[in-house]
Amino acid sequence: MSTSPENPDRAILAWAKDRYPIAKFAEWAEHKTVPVGPNAFWYYFGGITLFLFLIQVGTGIMLMFYYKGSADTAFASVRFISAKVPFGWLIRSVHAWSANLMIFFAFIHMFSVFFMRAYRKPRELTWLSGIVMLALLLGFGFSGYLLPWNELAFFATKVGTDIIGVIPLIGEPLMYVLRGGEEVTGSTLPRFFALHVALFPALLTIFIVAHLFFIQLQGIHEPDEWQEQPEKRKTMPFFPHFFMRELLLWLVVLNILAVLAVFFPAELGVEADPFSPAPAGIKPEWYFLATFEFLKYMPAHVGPIEGEQFGLLLISIGFVAWCLVPWIDRGRNRTVTTIVMAAGVTILVFLSIMTYLGHSV
Amino acid sequence: MMRTFTISLCVAFAWSASLAAAEELTDVSAGEGSGDIAGAGQPQEIDELQAGECLQCHLTTEDGVGELWRDDVHARWGITCVTCHGGDETQPDKELSKRPGTGYRGALTALEDVELCGGCHGDVEYMKERKPLLPVDQLQKYWTSEHGKLLNKGETRVATCVSCHHAHGIREINDAKSPVYAVNVPATCAGCHADADYMSDFDIKTDQYAEYVESVHGKALLEKNDVRGAPACNDCHGNHGAAPPSVDAITNICGACHSYNADLFLGSPLAPAFKERSLADCVACHGKHEITHTSEEWVGAKPGSTCGKCHEQGDEGAELALYFVDSMSSVRQSFDEIHELLTEAETKGMDVTEAEDYVEAARQGLMQARTLVHSFSKPVMEEKLVEISENQAAALEAGYAALRGLEDRRRGLLVSTVLLLVLTIFVALKIRSLPPTS
Repeated sequence: MSTSPENPDRAILAWAKDRYPIAKFAEWAEHKTVPVGPNAFWYYFGGITLFLFLIQVGTGIMLMFYYKGSADTAFASVRFISAKVPFGWLIRSVHAWSANLMIFFAFIHMFSVFFMRAYRKPRELTWLSGIVMLALLLGFGFSGYLLPWNELAFFATKVGTDIIGVIPLIGEPLMYVLRGGEEVTGSTLPRFFALHVALFPALLTIFIVAHLFFIQLQGIHEPDEWQEQPEKRKTMPFFPHFFMRELLLWLVVLNILAVLAVFFPAELGVEADPFSPAPAGIKPEWYFLATFEFLKYMPAHVGPIEGEQFGLLLISIGFVAWCLVPWIDRGRNRTVTTIVMAAGVTILVFLSIMTYLGHSV
Repeated sequence: MMRTFTISLCVAFAWSASLAAAEELTDVSAGEGSGDIAGAGQPQEIDELQAGECLQCHLTTEDGVGELWRDDVHARWGITCVTCHGGDETQPDKELSKRPGTGYRGALTALEDVELCGGCHGDVEYMKERKPLLPVDQLQKYWTSEHGKLLNKGETRVATCVSCHHAHGIREINDAKSPVYAVNVPATCAGCHADADYMSDFDIKTDQYAEYVESVHGKALLEKNDVRGAPACNDCHGNHGAAPPSVDAITNICGACHSYNADLFLGSPLAPAFKERSLADCVACHGKHEITHTSEEWVGAKPGSTCGKCHEQGDEGAELALYFVDSMSSVRQSFDEIHELLTEAETKGMDVTEAEDYVEAARQGLMQARTLVHSFSKPVMEEKLVEISENQAAALEAGYAALRGLEDRRRGLLVSTVLLLVLTIFVALKIRSLPPTS
């Protein structure tokens, strides 16, 4: 390899090689593989979610150039972004759509991991970190929804934080801290803004790094039958085979985002007025609809417990059980595995029906 | 009901006192007599009311005078029963408290009522110490009112102070329970003026209240509770000096609120013409108590239109009215066109905020143009119409720009899609060129 001034690229590489273990990294990347098989398609969704997160970071930073996070200025600043800032409408619409797609693909990724039973040992922490990340994404969605300070977002936040307030013991203090008082007011907006652009991104970055670190350490989960029939094992190199396919999907998703942003740009609605009555048909974003709808079906009381509290208790138990799936189904008992898989299908069907009902009722 | 109340008061106040009593009261009020309004400079708590022994009986009498007195604004200022009625309030015995020599004068006649109330309320020094912001010309004005004039002639079936304010239980005028609180004024006046039997001897119509209730002013006051903006009877007729306004005063009265309209009218060629024909300016077109929202149907020379009352088709006034109607109609049609355009743009996801700002400016202009009708001047109206049409044109332009922007967005999307497709094909070809997986 020449280091002559005539080949500057190689000269830089040589300079770097002298200082950093680039050769080791290149060797590791060269040997990194991804399983190939009928389920391989699902491996791409984690990467798509990551890609959408990067878009969120980029568009979010651009929005922050103009967004003013106080009750007096938020709505006007978002209107300014949409109406006056060159391509502001595009950035805002891409940010809004990308947020929805990111959560959608995160759900797909989680359920694909679940049904491929990729959560089992040694990937328990990968599973847990993934759940934490999904929770953070939902937090991103909840906090970001309020930021334009429009009527729908205002009252949806009121309903959402009301639900948080129902949680026994910690509910009310948590609601108070989130709202910055007893009610959703102008004090709530800076808090949600701070969560949206500071705390959640910091936490999510940490968990993404941890999640990717676990994957790099342990490799991508391979189908269970390969352990019994190693001759069936088939892989492809991560670089460039898998990476190029992932890139292809990123380009497709990017185009979908552009189409959605042009044909269905993010709406702004009417500025929030804390003193006006709530408009009819207030609903949360689609990813909270299932919970919202489920709580609506709760009776006033279940024994000594209030209906909503009972509903939240059931959801909490379900969430804890979902987190503990790697320890419940360790792959040693076929019956347990069958029950867990059936439970997964039930949850998926339940969430779909509740979301549909919440959307259509 | 009001009539019954007034009559009952007059009957109840059969015991008369002399005018000197009112003067005596004035003396008392200055702190020199036995009326005991000492400390009148300080309002008192209800529990500390100094009503003497009078309430021992009157708290339980059917007329409820004692209970009413508890809510009376005067009671809070240390004024007691004897201040108006005389007597000895230290005596628990009915006979002794009203014995001769105590100055007991019982219920007051209509004239006594006016002079007694006016005695204090017309005393500048007395009122300055207690309610310095309260006017002191009520009695003076009252004698100029139709009520006062008739009373002066000996007619006792007229409104006196107690007819409107009540005799006992008098409240501040901004107290919603007061009969002279703005929202209650129309009903208070209607107590007599809507009673055909009671008013039969006075040759006055009795449909004012029914018309007022349906009027734009009545709806604003009685339905929307607009106590600051909407006029009650007293806002046009005066309160203590209540009288029907003269024809010449109409513009001044309406102009107290509608000042711009009044100015425009007085500067218009119609003002002298109205004066010549003894037409009551605003009232001639808008009516009196039955004033309703104006509409463009009013303007024009067609039969039934307001202008048509005086103008015939083809005359100068009718031509001007026709111009106003056509202009307004054209402006309205433009609004429809703009609304359709902006709705289309908004439905397609475009921001039309700027266009809506222009629409709002044009709407404001249209409101002003409706007011400018009172100038009865084509050049004045033309100037405003130009302003409106400029704003409407700007709104249209902004709406079309939004639709053009939509086209630009779609073209941009097409270009980016082609670029992304090329990139995608390039990546796909690259994938195909990779060595097979193991």
